[in-house]
Amino acid sequence: MSRKQSYLAVIWIALITVAAGTLLITLANASPIEAYQMFFRGIFGNITNFCEVFVKATPLILTGLGCAVAFKTGFFNIGAEGQFYMGAVAATSVALGLTGVPGPLRILLAMAAGFICGGLWALIAAVFKARFGISEIIVTIMLNYIAINFVGIAVRTFLMDPAGSVPQSARIGSEAAFKLLMPPTRLNMGFIIAIAAVILVWVLMEKTTAGYELKVVGSNRRGAKCMGISVMKNTILSAFLSGGLAGMAGVIEILGIQKKLLEGISSDCGYTAVLVALLASNHPIGVFFSAVGLAAMQVGANSMQRQMGVPSAIVNILVGMVVLLVLGKRIFQFKSKKKA
Amino acid sequence: MLEQIFTISFLTAFLTAAVRMAVPLIYAGLGETFLERTGILNIGMEGVMLGGALFSFAGALLSGSLAVGLVCGMLGGLAVSAIHGFLCINLSQNQSVSGIALNIFMLGLTSFLYKILTAGQSYQDIETIPTMAIPVLSSIPLVGNAFFNQDILTYLVYLLVILAVFFYRKTGAGLAFTAVGEHPRAADAAGIPVYKYQWIAIAVNGVLGGMGGACLVLVQLGKFTENMISGRGYIALAAVILGRYTPLGMFGAALIFGGANALQIRLQTLGVPLPTQALAMLPYVITLIALLGSVGKSGEPEALGTPYVRGSR
Amino acid sequence: MGILEMKHISKAFSGVYANEDISLSVEKGEIHALLGENGAGKTTLMNILFGIYSADEGEIFWKGEKVHFSSPKAAIESGIGMVHQHFSLVQKLSVLDNIILGMDTGFKALDRKQAREKILNLAGKYGLKVNPDALINHLSVGQQQRVEILKALYRDVDLLILDEPTGVLTPSETEHFFGVLRRLKEEGYAIIIITHRMSEIMSISDRVTILRDGKKIIDLVTAETNPSELSNYMIGRQLKSGFVMENKASDEETLCLKHVSIIKARQPEFLSDICLDIKKGEILGIAGVDGNGQKELAEAIAGVRKITEGTIWFEGKDITKTTVKQRFEMGISYVSDDRHADGLVLDMTLEDNVMLRDYDRQPYSKYSFLNEKLIREKAEKAIDEYKIKTSGTSKGDTVVRLMSGGNQQKVIIAREVSDSAKLVIASQPTRGLDIGATEFVRQVLMDHRNKGGSVLLISADLEEIVALSDRIAVMFGGRIMGVLDREHINMEKIGLMMGGITEEEIKE
Repeated sequence: MSRKQSYLAVIWIALITVAAGTLLITLANASPIEAYQMFFRGIFGNITNFCEVFVKATPLILTGLGCAVAFKTGFFNIGAEGQFYMGAVAATSVALGLTGVPGPLRILLAMAAGFICGGLWALIAAVFKARFGISEIIVTIMLNYIAINFVGIAVRTFLMDPAGSVPQSARIGSEAAFKLLMPPTRLNMGFIIAIAAVILVWVLMEKTTAGYELKVVGSNRRGAKCMGISVMKNTILSAFLSGGLAGMAGVIEILGIQKKLLEGISSDCGYTAVLVALLASNHPIGVFFSAVGLAAMQVGANSMQRQMGVPSAIVNILVGMVVLLVLGKRIFQFKSKKKA
Repeated sequence: MLEQIFTISFLTAFLTAAVRMAVPLIYAGLGETFLERTGILNIGMEGVMLGGALFSFAGALLSGSLAVGLVCGMLGGLAVSAIHGFLCINLSQNQSVSGIALNIFMLGLTSFLYKILTAGQSYQDIETIPTMAIPVLSSIPLVGNAFFNQDILTYLVYLLVILAVFFYRKTGAGLAFTAVGEHPRAADAAGIPVYKYQWIAIAVNGVLGGMGGACLVLVQLGKFTENMISGRGYIALAAVILGRYTPLGMFGAALIFGGANALQIRLQTLGVPLPTQALAMLPYVITLIALLGSVGKSGEPEALGTPYVRGSR
Repeated sequence: MGILEMKHISKAFSGVYANEDISLSVEKGEIHALLGENGAGKTTLMNILFGIYSADEGEIFWKGEKVHFSSPKAAIESGIGMVHQHFSLVQKLSVLDNIILGMDTGFKALDRKQAREKILNLAGKYGLKVNPDALINHLSVGQQQRVEILKALYRDVDLLILDEPTGVLTPSETEHFFGVLRRLKEEGYAIIIITHRMSEIMSISDRVTILRDGKKIIDLVTAETNPSELSNYMIGRQLKSGFVMENKASDEETLCLKHVSIIKARQPEFLSDICLDIKKGEILGIAGVDGNGQKELAEAIAGVRKITEGTIWFEGKDITKTTVKQRFEMGISYVSDDRHADGLVLDMTLEDNVMLRDYDRQPYSKYSFLNEKLIREKAEKAIDEYKIKTSGTSKGDTVVRLMSGGNQQKVIIAREVSDSAKLVIASQPTRGLDIGATEFVRQVLMDHRNKGGSVLLISADLEEIVALSDRIAVMFGGRIMGVLDREHINMEKIGLMMGGITEEEIKE
């Protein structure tokens, strides 16, 4: 596909998306113009909402980065969801458990624990793949559900708030939680961490020998072996890094937003992450923008729902549709003939 | 406690529930088996089932006929699979990405359409398909009630499984479909139209997946709720793997998973202090262990997940 | 008029003719050989006949009628069967299921009993012994080929196309296979055999059509010709006589293999008790039919494949247990026969590919960071020195996938053949390249030798081996059959050793 055709395809996809959005809004018995006003007011209307975009983007950036790193190395990690939760459980355990440790240090420990646990969770799939040749796609999906149920067990047993009867953990003290950057918005340290992660991953992938190795392995495993680049080592490294980034998203959700562990806090960002990475062509900077874009859509749609009762499910429809259209973008090559 | 569990009435009730839980999985698993044997993985089974559930509900609600509902569910599933087919067969795109996108898309679409359909009035119920006991068979102790005092869709799935076993073991078509997933180039060389067969498999996948979703609505719940499939599509994927890509194996695996689910509910009603999640994660743990145990002989079709591009090596 | 007449067939791929005005005529009860070098257009012509490609120009007459097969299926239904070089067998299915695959795709139960009888019948008649219930992945390559032939015969074909059928066979299997072909011929089958082996053409074929550079050169009656005439038509140019070897190789040993074996349970021996040495300033040629352990030997020395027995010594050090990277650092580099899979990362740029060996070495990287400027310089130097053609202005940023085969090979050569490489393992280094690129690669290897480096040259092309080697070792069935000095090269002897006869046996 030539560059011009790519641009054309992007324009087509944008047009179709807007048209579909308008149609859906109309179906929901709302005026599209008003709804779009609400949509944009929801995003840009005030500083709280605007910051909410970046709050919502934070887990998507980190899980999206994780997927991008893994995909570049040829490791199809669909397990960001599970890795997110393992990171969340680890962070909660450390933040609630090590009460003797001073706050800032405890935060660091919680972050490290979250990263490592998320990484190890992905590592299981990497070992299955590298050692036994079992498809990581299936294994990571299984691991997602195991992790989700593990969270369910955790909030009902060893992490359950002893003072309450609801399935959730005790509240993490403010000394071990992230500081808000600009109250009253929910923007917190997590966003800074996400941006730092984007830069670090970009440097790693583009500027270092380690990133070069990862890309070689991702592009041609057999060739890597013949050149003496270890496929096993790099698959494991990429899985660990990928899972660690997703785990970090879980840490941030706990320490920055929820301040306690409960079920369902990922809002499926582990799956959306796959789409974020795809839309970004697995490029770290692209991940940032596609994550922020998706988060903005969510924030805008939430405002539409609040103000006008238009179901926010529209976002899922449109996001799914955009990805499907991107996958099918070849249909927009109207003029060019089919290749033989 | 054990005395409570090992009573005939408990076991009968448990088995009946296990079969009930398993039937939607068997439908979806059969559709997925059929598709994966032609080399295409559909992670979007969750979305297919959601499509089947919503459209069967809508069809039944609007027409007042369960049969119409069932047909709508089949068509709904078919439509979702067809998108997957177009992207994966015609455009050779990444099957996992397509599947995940479909799941998210359908999650949004079904809950949106449901809200429009019911226009804010929640708790719209439809009648469910009644059970009808098969004489003699249903009076077999223990298993009779579980397997033969069910509804028509359950009996139909038994028949489909038997047909599928026969199809793969005995017929030329079954052989051809297997070859497409194992070695599409060889199949092509033997004159089998690979893309056409993959499209047929997509259709079967969609219709059966849609029936799996419809089953939940038309037989079990009588209503639609947002995200009501809640992971059953993924469990169906697990059942296919655990069943080593054979219809009969998948049937067994789905029954085990249904059993785990039923046990979880039974134990809860008995007040056993075990988090339900421990049993809910069982299917996935079992599947992972089974994967490890079957290294090298998992029966996975050789070409699974790799788009077939004609003329390339 | 023959059962098959192909008239004035032309086919071009992106402007380049693969077939240009080719005519071919085959009779019933005839074995017709199609001879030509790699890339002469043999396979393209057969793919056109078989409905895989469609011709740009020309006509095909089959049994007197003008036909156009739109798919292999149509060709098979009309009675044309083809056995490809790469078999199309489903590994997990039985022999019987593979044979009947695709014939009946109905929903009724298959009559496997009747099929089994028919298969056993055909197998008995033509000497194609094979167990119908065995799974394909339990069969040897020779047995798999029998299945492929049975598959065609089962479909009642009248014409059988065989693409390089003997490349994968042992000499005794080849003998047996020829017996099968003769019996088929007696029954009235027409057979087209694609090959580049003169001896086979002489012993089995009735007529031979020779292609070169996509054109038909001539067709001959086999009985009225001889190998040297065939060779002249096929090659069509004077063979360049051997390169100038500036000085004699020294006595200093670079590499030494002692009793190296790669043996795995329930599989034929990949390598068996290999003892070899390569001197400084020497090219050791490894001759042999493809698939006789050459690839395993190359990979064992490069460190890609583990050996099960024996030791490998490099400059007096035991390197048996070292890794690919360690060996490269010591000076062992590897030009693989499979550029796309082993030697390049097709979707990365020329720069990235040139750096595959050096990316983590000073000065190209420091503290784990890549030095992009130096990498660029190195790539540009390689482009200039080896005259690598890149696309447009992108130079080092050209994605390797978009380059021609010759230029891709130059990228590999630029990377692997450097002054620090004391031993270059060059496996089929000119396969699939045009004449210019071939000469270039050979010159680079010769220069390397003349500068005092060692080269292990593996090639199925005897001409290449003879032109470049100081000594020639011949491989067969994972063994070294014998080693000849340049002064004592005897083509007949090499030919015999390639066929599995040891030096000692020849002396007797």
